[in-house]
Amino acid sequence: MGTSYIYKRDASRLFIAVRDNGKRYKLYIPKESKPVIDGKEYDIDFIEQGDSQYIFDWNGKRFQCELVSRDQNKAVIKVNGVEYKYSLESLFSYIRRGMINSDANKIDENNIIAPMPGKIVDIFLSEGDLVNAGEPILTLEAMKMQNEITANCNGIIQKIKVQAGQSVMKDELLIEIQSIDL
Amino acid sequence: MKKRLLIANRSEIAIRIIRSAHKLGMTAVVFQSDREPDALYLKYADEIIPAKDASNEKAIFLDAERIVKFALEYKIDLIHPGYGFLSENPDFAALCVDNGINFIGPSPELIRDMGLKTVAKSMAIKAGLPLVPGSDGPVKDAEAATAYANKIGYPVILKASAGGGGRGMRIVEKPETIERNFKSASDEALAAFSNGDMFIEKYLQNPKHLEFQILGDKHGNVVHLGERECSLQRKHQKIVEEAPSASVTEKMRAEMGEMAVRFAKSIGYFSAGTIEFIMDEDGSYYFMEMNTRIQVEHPVTEIVTGVDLVDWQIRVALGEELTLKQSDIHIQGWAIECRVNTEDPQNRFSPQTGFIDKVYFPQKDYIRIETGVQSGSVVTPYFDSMIAKIIVKGNDRQDVIQKTLDALNEFNLIGLKTTIPFCRTVLNHPDFVNATYTTRWVDQVFTPEMLENEDDEIIGALAATIMYASEYLQLSSDLPTYKYDRLNVWVLNKRLNY
Repeated sequence: MGTSYIYKRDASRLFIAVRDNGKRYKLYIPKESKPVIDGKEYDIDFIEQGDSQYIFDWNGKRFQCELVSRDQNKAVIKVNGVEYKYSLESLFSYIRRGMINSDANKIDENNIIAPMPGKIVDIFLSEGDLVNAGEPILTLEAMKMQNEITANCNGIIQKIKVQAGQSVMKDELLIEIQSIDL
Repeated sequence: MKKRLLIANRSEIAIRIIRSAHKLGMTAVVFQSDREPDALYLKYADEIIPAKDASNEKAIFLDAERIVKFALEYKIDLIHPGYGFLSENPDFAALCVDNGINFIGPSPELIRDMGLKTVAKSMAIKAGLPLVPGSDGPVKDAEAATAYANKIGYPVILKASAGGGGRGMRIVEKPETIERNFKSASDEALAAFSNGDMFIEKYLQNPKHLEFQILGDKHGNVVHLGERECSLQRKHQKIVEEAPSASVTEKMRAEMGEMAVRFAKSIGYFSAGTIEFIMDEDGSYYFMEMNTRIQVEHPVTEIVTGVDLVDWQIRVALGEELTLKQSDIHIQGWAIECRVNTEDPQNRFSPQTGFIDKVYFPQKDYIRIETGVQSGSVVTPYFDSMIAKIIVKGNDRQDVIQKTLDALNEFNLIGLKTTIPFCRTVLNHPDFVNATYTTRWVDQVFTPEMLENEDDEIIGALAATIMYASEYLQLSSDLPTYKYDRLNVWVLNKRLNY
């Protein structure tokens, strides 16, 4: 299809970095492709890694990073000679602490509800997976038509309530999704 | 016989002087101080004198008696004092001369005269140099001060004759407040120094610091090598210097240069020297003082004139006649020097000491690096925080600013913080680009937040996350809920040799 989604399945690669000036970044560190920062893929390359030193290349510009100090989940990084302080957290702990989207209505909006009665043909994702907005999650067969049901938001599959082969009623809750759109 | 030149200095300037000594076929001798027994400059010297300056004694570079004693013992012909330390100490120069050692610099008498501001100023007046308008002596009372201020115009500065440290000093913006300020400053001075005498001077609100390099020989020849602008200062110390200055027109250069030469000739000056001017926003300029040493920022002048100042200092000391004529000296291109000080610009430029784990200097044919350190060097609290200078040549001002920014971006030092991010901020700032910056820029414009930028912040977040994540992913590797591979894969895939 040619559509490429920026978030790959692995949600454990998604982190939140908050700077001491309050600025928050959501960073996704994929295995092989480029990093995704606040939902956007960045053309940043890793050049070199030392003990506590990293060098990046971003659009041909070199960035020198040095770990200055580290205390639990707080880190001070010197970038091109200037220090920046961050607090780091995995997305999971961020969600656990109730830091994102506590609006109950919104959570419901993101859940996948059967739009019509039918049979679940296939589920493409597992619990704990990351999903992109618009990405197909499952196929629902109704009136001999196969319908791909897609995610409303970038999020994590929290709970899969159904399994392949199962028949479902209209408006039945199929999948719980926690949005990661901060 | 090879002449023996002793350098009574350390760090980058010692290496700089060694280079000239070698060019002139001399043996370069340096001191090894116990305060930095592994210093880089020792590697370049032909001979090393172990100074054995214990930490409870004076550092050798400040100990005139011992320097001369060693010089005699080691059969030294010439002593180069560099800058700082004893370079402008007339007693040291006299001690050298009295012991038959050639001191590379002007005569001890001139060093003494130029060191006394009032003497230097009266000599400058005689040579017809403009001075900041002010009362020659103390003004009698508030009324006299008011009358004087009306004559020279506001703002004015009131200074206690016996003053210092800002006490008994007032800047007066308008006539209504001069009487009150005069009284309070005079009272303050009386209480602090038992002397209530007050001077009055025109106050320059946003001055520029300009200085003319001159070079004279012992035969009465003097030339000037144009100006440097050193307005970018913090705590009255220069950080970024350039030559020429965008605020000096061709006509002014000729006029001020002629003035500098006239002054140097009138006092019988020889060796390299610098005549400092302060320039007001309206372009009027005034003589401030003369420096009788080689200056930290001399390379910018060397780059735009092609004249080797240290070579000439030595040759002049040997009695050689200047072969340069004023008409031979042309300013070509533009040069900027950025000082690499181990100071934290995010924290009021507080000094940083410790190890330089790694240092990388940019290398290009238009970049000149003067450094006193290398990877693994230690920065001790005993000496100045300046460890290196990055000097860049460009075709014009715009070109040199861009080239310098590129150079600063390539520079990397692991272990300590430096003034380089500050220099980067300066060179990117419209006040520098438009050349409107003044000596008050750091106090009035600069804030530490200006050192930050969003790109660096994003990269910092990424680096912090990767460091955190590689641990986090390892730690959670036995939790069955999460599937992942070791994060490093991405890292290793992208690993290249830069």
